Amino acid sequence: MDLSDLIEVSAIMPALKANSKKQLLQLLAEKAAAVTELPERVIFDTILQRERLGSTGVGNGIAIPHGKLSGVKKIVGVFARLESPVDFEALDDQPVDLVFLLLAPEGAGADHLKALSRIARVLRDNETVAKIRGTRDANAIYALLSETATPHAA
Amino acid sequence: MDQTIYLVTLVGTALVLAASFSSLIAFRFGAPLLLLFLGVGLASGADGLGIQFDNARLAYFVGSLALAVILFESGFGTPFAIFKQAAAPALTLATVGVLLTTAIFGAAAYYFVHLNMLESMLLGAAVSSTDAAAVFFLLRAGNINLRDRLRSTLEVESGTNDPIAIFLTITLVSILALGELPNAFELSLELAVGFAEHMGIGAVVGLIGGYGVVRLIEKLELDHGLLPIFVLTLALLIFAAAGSVGGSGFLAVYVAGLIVGNAGMRNASVVKRFQHGLSWLAQIIMFLVLGLYATPSEFVPIFGIGLFLGLLLIFVARPIAVWFCLLPFGFTRPETAFISWVGLRGSVSILLAITPITGGLEHGRLIFNLAFIIVLASLVVQGWTIGPLARRLGLIVPPRGGLVDKVELELPGSARHELLAYRVVAGSPVERGQRIPRWARPSLVVRGGRSMKYQDAGRLVAGDNVYIFVSDRYPRLLDRLFAGRTDVDPEDADFFGAFAVDPARPATDLEAIYGPPLTDAERKLSIGALVSTRLGGRAEYADRVLLDPIELIVRDVDENGKVVGVGVSLEPMATPAPRVPIFLSAGEMWDRFVLFRARFRTRPSGQGEVSATASEAETKT
Repeated sequence: MDLSDLIEVSAIMPALKANSKKQLLQLLAEKAAAVTELPERVIFDTILQRERLGSTGVGNGIAIPHGKLSGVKKIVGVFARLESPVDFEALDDQPVDLVFLLLAPEGAGADHLKALSRIARVLRDNETVAKIRGTRDANAIYALLSETATPHAA
Repeated sequence: MDQTIYLVTLVGTALVLAASFSSLIAFRFGAPLLLLFLGVGLASGADGLGIQFDNARLAYFVGSLALAVILFESGFGTPFAIFKQAAAPALTLATVGVLLTTAIFGAAAYYFVHLNMLESMLLGAAVSSTDAAAVFFLLRAGNINLRDRLRSTLEVESGTNDPIAIFLTITLVSILALGELPNAFELSLELAVGFAEHMGIGAVVGLIGGYGVVRLIEKLELDHGLLPIFVLTLALLIFAAAGSVGGSGFLAVYVAGLIVGNAGMRNASVVKRFQHGLSWLAQIIMFLVLGLYATPSEFVPIFGIGLFLGLLLIFVARPIAVWFCLLPFGFTRPETAFISWVGLRGSVSILLAITPITGGLEHGRLIFNLAFIIVLASLVVQGWTIGPLARRLGLIVPPRGGLVDKVELELPGSARHELLAYRVVAGSPVERGQRIPRWARPSLVVRGGRSMKYQDAGRLVAGDNVYIFVSDRYPRLLDRLFAGRTDVDPEDADFFGAFAVDPARPATDLEAIYGPPLTDAERKLSIGALVSTRLGGRAEYADRVLLDPIELIVRDVDENGKVVGVGVSLEPMATPAPRVPIFLSAGEMWDRFVLFRARFRTRPSGQGEVSATASEAETKT
């Protein structure tokens, strides 16, 4: 299994511009709304709710906002590479420039968590992360996200 | 006569230097340093370079004084908070644990060596205490960052069990020296009464002496250079006073050290540095003298049996004693196993083994040599394996916070304030623009060799030195401001969970997003309170709570024990329960026994069942 199950090339924003965490979340929600055909507002509220519990910035400039939503049909992701990093209240206080948003159906349970930890694992690989930072091509990012999981999969 | 002075000094300094240099080697290779000191002593002694030293009384005298100095430092360096945290389990280990170890080991030795019961017990008592210096040094030098309660327990135990082992040994020697064997009842009565009296007087003298020292220092305006000497002399005075009125001098110095070290003295750091250095010297001298006194050629005929007894102590006596003592305290199986393994024997055991010789016992020399070999075995076997074992048992926690570069200075005439000099580290919160709070009174910034007022310095840059006057209650908060960035390395992320959650948020938020089942009572709690409750009310840094399908990890705890940082791990399976070596854990042995019995019982019935349990057994082993 790799991240290509979770994300499509069309859901990758390779050179996003955002000035704040809030704006970034809004832009992500907007994209997710297009992918899932759900109202943007609902998605935004869901991920904001999770951020209130604690920042999903996992360090090293990476954030993985996530949440469960009843209208979503399957686990679905949106990825953004920012042109310039924004403050995300991350644990290590580093501003964030790579964001993977993950939305899961209400009943997803364990699959949701598995998907999340897989994303966290892929984005923990310094080499992959450096390559993603170095490109502005959605297809290249898609390839990087989906290929890295394969050799590590047991 | 003149020549003797030079010669003795020359030899003495050469030995101490050799031992000091060996410490460099030890730090580099992680070898048990004390073993090297002992080695230097042995190599210079009768069978090595040929220095003749056969004065048992002198060796015992020097060793006792050195031990008093070491115990004072050990008490001095133990904060009350740590002592309180670990007092119950550590003191149980130091009392019941010492007795049990002595009894189990003594009974075994009685079977294997030609000693009578009391002599066997005497040998057991001599090797029953763990060595504070060996434990401290190995934990520190090996960079072994243990969980708080575990570490405190080990440190307090190793400091407090010496007086008890000493009492036991000396009492046994004096009974044996009388020549007639009392009956068991009289013996245990005498031991119990003597013990209470000895320890009671020792503790009282230590308490009075400790407070006396603190008062004296506050009253007198002593010169900085003289102060540490003054404190040391008073410590030895307390040691002698307690001993001369029939109390335990060793317990008295430890208690006095504990009180003086926690009194918040103005010049504590001067004394501390001096004590630290002196305790090193005492340690070196003790091992050198004991090494010199021993005659390795005498070890040869009894080496096998000595080694066997050493292994018996390591693998049987200590684990059983530790397991029994820690039953009421809720330590996990890996923790109990680790505490058994860190039962390092050291100079105290050798020192105690001299008493049968000075007491003129028939088998004194044999007991001494056996104790020596047992200590060697313990230092080699346990000393070398502590780090790997701690890692294997999953007891090492990642260090807290980033690197802090700071110097603390004493302020003459100002109570309760200190001057801290911090070097601004790249990536620390202050370097990234965080303000230093006003109570910290930042007064001076030295930048590129020029000094300026903090107000004029503007934003701090990496490499600045900042001088801060601060009440001694706050440094920990400041440390955070000046700490370098903690790199989130993959292992730490595994350890602390990928995501952070705010402990102040209600637990129901957690349930809504990750779906761990909660009880109605738990739904009313905050996440922090939920974690504390699940941990039985006492959360500690790096504790984990499994709330299937997630796991919560305590990332930080404040001074009052309140959880202030929680991580969420989405893969609770990523850290499987560590497997405890069977020989270190009675619980593990019991489990195997139950398994074995179940297997045995099912054998007569259906074939399929047998293979099922057999394969289950295989997966567990």
